[in-house]
Parts: sequence; structure tokens; C-alpha cells
Amino acid sequence: MNSSRLKDLVQPMSLSHVLAVARLDLTLLLRNRSVLFSVVGMPLLFGGMLFGFRGQETGGLDMALFAGTGYLAFFLVFAVFMNLVSVFTARREDLTLKRLRSGSLSDSEVFGGSLVVSGAIYLIQALLLVVVLGTALGGPWPANPLLMLAGMLAGVVVFALLAFAISGLTPNADMAQLTVVPVMFASMAGSGVMFPLEFLPGAAREAAGMLPLSPLVDIVRTGYFGQDHTVGGTQSDIGFVEAWIRCLKPFAVFALWTVVGLWSARRWFRWEPRHA
Amino acid sequence: MQTILVNELRQRYGDFEAVGGISFEVGEGELFALLGTNGAGKTTTLETLEGFRNAGSGTVRVLGHDPYRERRALRPQLGIMLQEAGFFADLTVAETVDQWRRFTPSPRERDEVLGMVGLPQQTEVRTRQLSGGQKRRLDLALALLGRPRVLFLDEPTTGMDPEARHATWKIVRELVADGTTVLLTTHYLEEAEQLADRLAIMHRGRIEVAGTVADVVAGQGDRITFRVPDRVPVSDLPTLCGAVADIAVESGRAVAGYRVQGLQASLYELLRWAEHHRLELDGLQARSASLEDVFLHTAAATPEGAVR
Ligand SMILES: Nc1ncnc2c1ncn2[C@@H]1O[C@H](COP(=O)(O)OP(=O)(O)O)[C@@H](O)[C@H]1O
Ligand SMILES: [Mg+2]
Repeated sequence: MNSSRLKDLVQPMSLSHVLAVARLDLTLLLRNRSVLFSVVGMPLLFGGMLFGFRGQETGGLDMALFAGTGYLAFFLVFAVFMNLVSVFTARREDLTLKRLRSGSLSDSEVFGGSLVVSGAIYLIQALLLVVVLGTALGGPWPANPLLMLAGMLAGVVVFALLAFAISGLTPNADMAQLTVVPVMFASMAGSGVMFPLEFLPGAAREAAGMLPLSPLVDIVRTGYFGQDHTVGGTQSDIGFVEAWIRCLKPFAVFALWTVVGLWSARRWFRWEPRHA
Repeated sequence: MQTILVNELRQRYGDFEAVGGISFEVGEGELFALLGTNGAGKTTTLETLEGFRNAGSGTVRVLGHDPYRERRALRPQLGIMLQEAGFFADLTVAETVDQWRRFTPSPRERDEVLGMVGLPQQTEVRTRQLSGGQKRRLDLALALLGRPRVLFLDEPTTGMDPEARHATWKIVRELVADGTTVLLTTHYLEEAEQLADRLAIMHRGRIEVAGTVADVVAGQGDRITFRVPDRVPVSDLPTLCGAVADIAVESGRAVAGYRVQGLQASLYELLRWAEHHRLELDGLQARSASLEDVFLHTAAATPEGAVR
């Protein structure tokens, strides 16, 4: 039945309700070891790997910095996407999602609270990584932090929507390990996180640029280095305004994915388990 | 204005019609019970009134609002105890109530609400460790937090021992006495008999009978039965105040049954007839119809798989 799905993502919200849901989410997160590992352990693991890349070069850049800026984008997949898929699937199946809907909270407040927590975790992870890059890995400080932040916030919205859609297709919390794989793999391999896309033939490069994480990788790298790192970009130094202009296309790709995410979340998200 | 209004509500799941055109109203401060077997469509009806799903067709109104479209305006005035909803297993009872208070406009104090439902000792227990009956009380506590004007209780006492059940009835009676409007579902006849101002018996998506307990039972008539004496042909049995005997065979013997309006006059006629023919009436029974008779009667009238 239609109405057991997502009614409307965009409804009026009360800030105090959103923060109350966020507080609940944070409490539960801190008590759940496996979720805690995926938001704390994984970034540590990936961050540690960067130290092994020091001194190597890729795409004309220090490989630790290249991959590190890729991770600034990729952490979104753990903190927001995988986290929200498993949280919403588990809550749907144990009927706590139904309980959250049985009071005065609106649907968008239930989403919003979880979104705030996972988004905040991601931004904190990214901030810490920027510090590591700028100190231990000898990188520069971000040239255009505002651009990076804007890209990251847009990415949070896109990947949260994708998470809501995928959680609707995930029968139970264990299966969430599996259903996140396509998006995770596409993001890891095809979005230029670890390896530059420049060696790909033109059409494949354009296609890779359309993957959901690709815009963020481009925006973050461009903002961090102050050089044009968008698909087919020249990597030459650019100023504040030009960086934004160069990133218009990645933001347009995000806008496209927002539409796709809204559409698929509306179509697939479920509040209640499938009837046995 | 009726507090709850349901008019010709229909609700489908795919091809299956779970609610097939029901209508009823609940006035302010009234307790209305939906009584029915499993699968009758009670939960579907309640969840529609609570705004979880849109009405398939027909109209539903709660406090004058469309509960699905105007959920935001309506919900703060409702208390909802779902048939089944999860608790966050890692939270304690106290944490659960505290958390819920943050979602509720002008909530009751935690101690007050836990006292009301009889869980004051369990504040530090994690919800995963509560018994089924204790979970039900915590459910009720959360539903009562916002001092609701309208309370929906979907099988509130299922899983409770008799003592807890009676305690819950007491709480519900007090809430009704304070003016709360309550719509409750149950498959316990006694619960409906004890609590309901009015009730409806629901079966396979329809309301078969509705009214006060007295109305519902009265419509069914009273019952007189006895074994047909050996030397009396069935055709010689009397009519009692116009009611004709129906004959059933029990352990090889014919049993006459009458469905009558008013026991006293009918019994008097029967006994006079027996006296006149010098008959001994074995196994004579006379009793008022009970809610159970009505309930079994409606359930039997449309058995599983019957074409309607
Ligand atoms: N989500 C659902 N999907 C499909 N069928 C359902 C769903 N929920 C309930 N049903 C079916 O609808 C009928 C009525 O269910 P329900 O309203 O839960 O009845 P009750 O509460 O009286 O036991 C049952 O036959 C049930 O199997
Ligand atoms: Mg039910």
C-alpha cells in the first residue's frame, strides 16, 4: 500500500524535534559497537593507509594527498550512506520506526534527526582528515573551504536520499552489508577516489563523472588544492570565483542525483516491514 | 461534532479488501470497542484513524481533521498504542520515557506516567528485559504522555496476566471518567463488556452488529432449550410467544430450542403446556443471550472462505 511508504520528505519541521531525534540517534550510536566501528574504525583504517602512500606520485600529485582528498569525499559513503541504510533497515524491521511515527513527530523530523547526526559525523571525520593531511602528511591547508563545505553538504543530501531508497530494498539489517555494495563499489572504483580518471577513454571518463560520488571528489579536490580537478580539468591554479565556476557541472550532477534520489526514495522507502 | 467519524471506509491491500465499507461514530468522552477475531480489520481501521494510511475510500475524521492529511495538527491531541511497535532495546524504561517526552508537547512527568501504568519500580530496566505485559504498560505510558483527548488502544491487554488486565481496565475507566475519548480493539469479550459504552462486532472487514452491550445482546433474543420428550412428535411442540422451535440432535436425542424476546412470558407458556400434557422437560435451560452468543453467531454466520 502506497501510504506505508514515504509520504513527503519535505514538510515543515520543528528544530527541537529534529534535535531530539538527533540526540536519540547519538545515544543509540554510542551504544552500538558495530555501528560505532563503521563510523570510527573504518575512517581510522583508511586514514592509516594514507601513510603508506607517502612519497609515491599519481596524476602529478603526491599520492597520499591525492587519495586523502579522495577520502574526504569517500568517508561520506560510510558515515552517511551505509550508516543510514543499516539504521533505517534495522528500525523498520524491529518496528521502532513505526513507534517513532506514532507520536507527534513528522516523517521529515524522523529523517532529519538521523540525517543531522550522520552528516555531522561525516563533517567531523572530514575535518580531522584535513588536519592530518595538513600536518602529518605535509599537505597544504584548503584553498577554498567554503566550496568544499558546500559540496559536502550537497553530498550528504544526495547520499541520504540514496540510503533511504536502498534501505527500502533491503529485507533486514544483515542484508544491508550486501545491498550497499553497488553504490560503495561504484564510489570507490569509479569516482576517482584513489586513482585519477584521466587515463580512461573520453566516454568512460564522462560516464564515471556521472557517478554519485564523482561530483564531490571533484569539488573537494578543486577546493582543497585551488586547482581545477574537475573531469577533464587542467589542474592549473585557479582563484576563488573560478573554482566555483569550474564546479558548476559537478553541482549540476548532484542536482540530477538529488532528483533521482527523491524519486527512488519515494518509490522504494518503506516505513513498515513487508507483510509476512 | 462527533469526536471520531467513520463513514463507508474501505481499505485494500493489493487485491485483498481488509475493510469493506464500515461506518460508526464515537462521541466525546465515550469508549467505543471494536470487537473481532484476528484478521477482522480492526488494526487496519485504527491505523487509518491514526493517520498512518490514507482511507482507500469513504471518509474518516478525528476531532474534525482528516487524520492522514492533517496529521501534524491532529497528532499532538492523540494517544496511540499500536498493536505492535518496537522499543529501543538498549534504552532503559526511564530513558525511553525521557526520550519520548522530548517528542511530546507539554508532556506528563516521567514518574507520574510510570506510576499511572504501574511501572514505577522498573525505571532502570532495559526495555529488552521487560516481560510482554510490562512492555504493554510502557506502551500505554508513552500513549498517555501528552494527555491525549483521543486515545487509540489496539489490543491493550494482550499478553497481560489477569491482574495486570484488571489494573489496565481501571486506568482506562479513569481516563474515560476524565473525559478522554477512547477507541479500543480487543478480542476479549469480557474487556468489551467491562469497558465499552458502545461496541461493534467486526468480522471479515465488516461491522455485523453495533450498539450498547444491551442493544447488541437484545437483538439476539434469549434462549430456551430442552430435550424433546419421547412420546411427543416434533410437530406437536408449542410456539412460545410466537417463536417456533428449532430442532437439533444432541447425543441421539432431539433438542428443542427457542430464540425468544423476554424469558418470563415464554417460559410461563412452556411450563403451562408441559403441565397440561403432564410432561417432564429434561435438560430445561433458559438464559439471556450473552455477548459471547452474539460474537459466535456473527463469526459462524460467515465462516472462513464463505462467498459474500
Ligand atoms: N500490510 C498488510 N499487507 C497485506 N495484508 C494485510 C496487511 N495488514 C493486514 N493485512 C490483512 O488484512 C486483514 C485485516 O488485518 P488487521 O486489520 O490486522 O485485522 P485485525 O487487527 O482485526 O486482526 C488480515 O487478513 C490481514 O492478514
Ligand atoms: Mg489487530
